[in-house]
Amino acid sequence: MNDRLKALYKTQILAHAKSPFNEGVLDDYTHKLQAYNPVCGDQFDLYLKFEDDIIQKTSFKGYGCAISKASTSVLTKQLLGKNKLEAKALIELFLKVIDPENSESPESITSDEEILAFASAREFPERLTCANLAWGKLREVLEEE
Amino acid sequence: MPLIKSEFPIFEAARKEGRPLIFLDNASTTQKPKCIIDAISGFYAGYYANVGRGSYWPATAASSGYDQAREKVRAFIGASSKKEVIFTSGTTDAVNKVVNSFLLPQLEQGDEVLVSEMEHHSNFVPWQQACLLKGAQLKVIPLDAELNLDLSKLASMLTSKVKILAITAISNTLGVKNDLSSIIKLAHQHNTKVFVDAAQLPLSEKVDVQDMDCDFLAFSGHKVFGPTGIGVLFGKQALLENMSPLAYGGGMVQQVSVDKTIMTDLPSKHEAGTPNIAGAIGLAAAIDFINSVGVEEIGKHSAGLRKYAVKRLSEIEGLTLFAKDVKATAILSFTMEGIHPHDIAAFLAEKGIAVRAGHHCTHPLMHKLDIGGTVRVSFSIYNSEEEVDLLKNTLDEIRSFFL
Repeated sequence: MNDRLKALYKTQILAHAKSPFNEGVLDDYTHKLQAYNPVCGDQFDLYLKFEDDIIQKTSFKGYGCAISKASTSVLTKQLLGKNKLEAKALIELFLKVIDPENSESPESITSDEEILAFASAREFPERLTCANLAWGKLREVLEEE
Repeated sequence: MPLIKSEFPIFEAARKEGRPLIFLDNASTTQKPKCIIDAISGFYAGYYANVGRGSYWPATAASSGYDQAREKVRAFIGASSKKEVIFTSGTTDAVNKVVNSFLLPQLEQGDEVLVSEMEHHSNFVPWQQACLLKGAQLKVIPLDAELNLDLSKLASMLTSKVKILAITAISNTLGVKNDLSSIIKLAHQHNTKVFVDAAQLPLSEKVDVQDMDCDFLAFSGHKVFGPTGIGVLFGKQALLENMSPLAYGGGMVQQVSVDKTIMTDLPSKHEAGTPNIAGAIGLAAAIDFINSVGVEEIGKHSAGLRKYAVKRLSEIEGLTLFAKDVKATAILSFTMEGIHPHDIAAFLAEKGIAVRAGHHCTHPLMHKLDIGGTVRVSFSIYNSEEEVDLLKNTLDEIRSFFL
């Protein structure tokens, strides 16, 4: 198989897609949001539970490709324990890593391997909406608050 | 059909760049043979002017080219008169125009409109929105277990309340072909008019609107080797005559005063503004091209590839084919257990294999099948069994990578 594409789907992403972190419905959520991509029909419901401004629990449920599912999984994992400001900063960092217009190298932005796994999305602009589906939606919701 | 492939410059262009192109997205749009590209540039370079007004050359030549294009389309679909051939920008445009000029003026609260569960959004949403606007009801004809239209259900849904039945000739997602003659006969027994979405039909079989007895039919130029931005709406003459113009503007009026306007006759009555002249000329060249190969030949070749693909892809474990026993069409959808359609399409693209992944603008059908999407392959004259073999082998590799 093609190496360039394999790099995008490297182990981290496939692992998250196959056994996603916290897949399911959260009953006692404080935030529920729906990330939907009308172009491909991918859709994830995201559940967050804030307590004392800290994200204590997260989960997600839905349908999407390996990239969108893994990126949503990583998002729910990385959000845990963060307050709203930290969550916003995390989202900005992730979006910078996958942004093909960004001249900074992904490694100079973060050393987090889970996030760096998505850096190859820069080479596949048509897959950016998969990688940032849930992240973009959460940014929108947090900014409105 | 190896000789024919060489008439499509994109494949040579791709080869020169060292980029293979196995184009299996023909239900979305078809590639263009050189004769059509030449016809369009020949018009712009050789006899370009507006149509219908100028008495000078090249306006006369352009008008004659536009008129000949209409005659070619008439013969292509078996219409009895050029007055029944209206140029549109495509199938979607034609649906919207029939909704606005035929349906809306007569649609009342309590009326019904029938569509099928396999419709493309473009033959679904315009009818739905018209119903919502007027308090009418959109009813959806279900599919049976084999994913064919359930004709017995249709029979029970046809009542005097139904103002129009809008139905596709061939499902753009499944490749299922509808028995239009029976459907139309049934509808006419209840005085229901029928609109046929023929977007996928013209390269499958010879279209004959008189034999079919449809009231309206539409297709797009770009799906039959022609250019984008041109399409055809066929309507029975009496219906088109009684309809108010599909749009108002120049080119469709006889006399205009402050108080009123007298419209021209068919077909120009329904073609306000400067038409897509180059598009019509390109479409005419596409019809010549199709006739030179033969619609039957094209249909047989593509359906043969679908059948071969069913055979080869059935060998892959965990792969589900939809409506696999359908005959005489070029479209095939499938899913692979545990691998999302977009991931499959991304890997196929790396091998130069162009397919479509997703819902194919058929959300109601996806709901019925309870899936988020499929991978769709659709064949045309430049495709071959070797390409199907490569598809099969690549799917094997994808499977072992993901699972």
